[in-house]
Amino acid sequence: MSKDYDVCVIGSGAGAGPIISELSKQGKSVLVLEKGPWLTEKDFTKDEMACCRRSVYTPKLEDEQHVLEEQNNDGNWSSEATSESGWDFWNGNVVGGSSNFMSGYFYRIKPKDFRLLSEFGPIKGANIVDWPISYEDMEPYFTKAETEIGISGKIVAHKHQEPRSTKDFPYPPTLEHPVVNKIDKACNELNLTSLPTPRAILSRPKQKRNSCEYSGYCGSYGCHSGAKGSARAALLDDAVATGHCEIRTRSKVYKLKSDNKGKVVEALYYDTQNKSQSVSAKIFVVACHAIETSRLLLASNGPKHPHGLGNNYSQLGKNLLFSAGGSGTGEFHYSEMDKLTASNMKTRGPFVNRGLQDWYYFNDKKFGGQTKGGIIDFLLRHPNPISKAMSVKWNDEGNLNWGHNLKHDLKSVFTESQDLRFEVFNDWLPTDNCFVSLDTNVKDKWGSAVAKVRLGYHEHDLKIGEFLSTKAKNVLRQMGAKNIRSNISGSPPANLVAGGCRFGNDIKTSVLDADCKVHDVENLYITDGSFMPTGGSVPYTWTIYANSFRVADIIKNRV
Amino acid sequence: MKKSILNRRQFIQILALTSASWPLISHAEKIAHLQTLGQQANLVYKNLSDPWLSIAEVQEHLFPANEAVPTTQSPGAKDIYALRFLRNMLDAPDTDTEEKEFIIKGVGWLNDLSFKIHQKRFIYLNTTEKETVLRKTEDSRAGSRWLNLILTYLIEALLSDPVYGGNKDKKGWQWLEHIAGFPTPTTEQVYFKLTDRSHNITRRRTKA
Repeated sequence: MSKDYDVCVIGSGAGAGPIISELSKQGKSVLVLEKGPWLTEKDFTKDEMACCRRSVYTPKLEDEQHVLEEQNNDGNWSSEATSESGWDFWNGNVVGGSSNFMSGYFYRIKPKDFRLLSEFGPIKGANIVDWPISYEDMEPYFTKAETEIGISGKIVAHKHQEPRSTKDFPYPPTLEHPVVNKIDKACNELNLTSLPTPRAILSRPKQKRNSCEYSGYCGSYGCHSGAKGSARAALLDDAVATGHCEIRTRSKVYKLKSDNKGKVVEALYYDTQNKSQSVSAKIFVVACHAIETSRLLLASNGPKHPHGLGNNYSQLGKNLLFSAGGSGTGEFHYSEMDKLTASNMKTRGPFVNRGLQDWYYFNDKKFGGQTKGGIIDFLLRHPNPISKAMSVKWNDEGNLNWGHNLKHDLKSVFTESQDLRFEVFNDWLPTDNCFVSLDTNVKDKWGSAVAKVRLGYHEHDLKIGEFLSTKAKNVLRQMGAKNIRSNISGSPPANLVAGGCRFGNDIKTSVLDADCKVHDVENLYITDGSFMPTGGSVPYTWTIYANSFRVADIIKNRV
Repeated sequence: MKKSILNRRQFIQILALTSASWPLISHAEKIAHLQTLGQQANLVYKNLSDPWLSIAEVQEHLFPANEAVPTTQSPGAKDIYALRFLRNMLDAPDTDTEEKEFIIKGVGWLNDLSFKIHQKRFIYLNTTEKETVLRKTEDSRAGSRWLNLILTYLIEALLSDPVYGGNKDKKGWQWLEHIAGFPTPTTEQVYFKLTDRSHNITRRRTKA
């Protein structure tokens, strides 16, 4: 039977982009079904209202939402719909997905991350496993992503540097903020290795994409110059130009229909007029955000998969991951600096590309010897002025702040100091208390059950987070920062999510095989962050890109 | 900070509990006062009647001119056109209708309280009396929610791009020495024209 397309891809973000790009370039017919609209460089401005005060790039919660389940102090779990709580769990529902709005802090996961269980042993209450592939399998694709996405950086030797097949990054580091000199000095004094942070941001033009314009607003904003390595800017535009790729926007896939053999035959979706449509393809690839991918598969029951595609062993949606850790801040007061230093510290535009990996692995008796740690990234406080002003809307007594006091506090927070922040990234251990299911009550605007997410975390995550946070605060102290504080918690950052369809060699303990194909579905691949059984201690995007390039090579040989 | 988060269910409960006691403002009156983005600047504070007259007074009390740093000129709510911003936002597509009604109904509630304490409408109170009434307003859950909304829109008016009608002549940015990013939005790139739907974000936790 003839199929409409060779490959149908659901979603268009970092997990989908490499598949779309590689297969279109090979001449395969590719259809992309994307729920959101197609915005481009000309639509992206530095408008805080659009980026961060109103949700322009994500659905209205009354239309589409999640149900989040958190543990109470008494140990019971209670759930609340996000339209009730206001806790928005969407990221970027547009062509290119949330990669449009990332900060682009890009790290490779390291060889030992692929064998966390073997290297560091089990932790009670955590479902730690080794990956079915090794760093060596992934390395060529990390390298490919460097050139295809456009990653800038500079290799500095250090004890946890992962092996590389190339000497350095294809693009030199982006311009750096003067505060990096202070960070480097303090780290040197503390005998730490201050490392330039690789960024998915072009420091030089790449074909039609311009290099960074250094406006000083990056994370949370769509990129106007095309420098940010979103799937859209880096991959999709070229894919469409091949003539083999069609991107169908505002197309919300609600079910994958499978036949008696368990093979996917059609994707069913609602079009712009909310009418149900269907499309057939030889191969289907789902990459529409870890939570939504699990949701779609759970909703896609069929004759061979009565509880959802790939869920015959009740693994689907399980072992969801976020990024553990938290953040902290220190203040540098202009009144304590000479004029030139103060002027340098006020610089807006260049990046604070500095991080520490000294404790990616460490040996500490308190943690039972060899332990998996994580990374620390330094960054300036986000320059968004409304968000900064909102931080003084309440006074210390919990009353609304207004009049003279409000104006005084605003003046102070805006003009008296530069805040240097740090973020800690460590493993969010997979547990039985962090998973996706379908909510039995709440539906989206089309009548489909929404994803219910249990947000449990492992106490070990907080211990590692605190350990790293203490190290980061030492650096701020050494730099002379004032009012240093931090917040490590089990509250998940909604923009860093993976797992739910972990890959592995055993169908009884994993959803996908090593090729990221659903074990018992011959033509369904999952290529967003869902495949990750453990997350490493870094932001996930580079790993997602690399894995998608890897799976693209596998699919190329099948169609 | 916890206090700033009032979920939707609580909000609707408040609305249900309190609306019965508020003087009603006619739908026609509301519509008559809704303005568009292109409204003439010099009309912002001319010929105002309630609810906008009272709201303008509340805004100026919450954010008065020249008070923070006596030696430096600092803008007040009227200088930054906080009222124009608020009206534009309430008129924007997809602004929550309940929130809009709540803000307007709150004016009646405020004047009730003002009359009860000082036997005068809010606009006729002196600064000390206004402070008393607003702090008393804050004591109730609905009142605190109402003031929180007014203050939130005020801060947005101070620091959002002037294209939305506030931050007149970038006075907010200049006062706080804020360096804006670029490019800035044109009238065709305001958030509600980018896609066909948008809504207020209450809470989002992310890392860079």
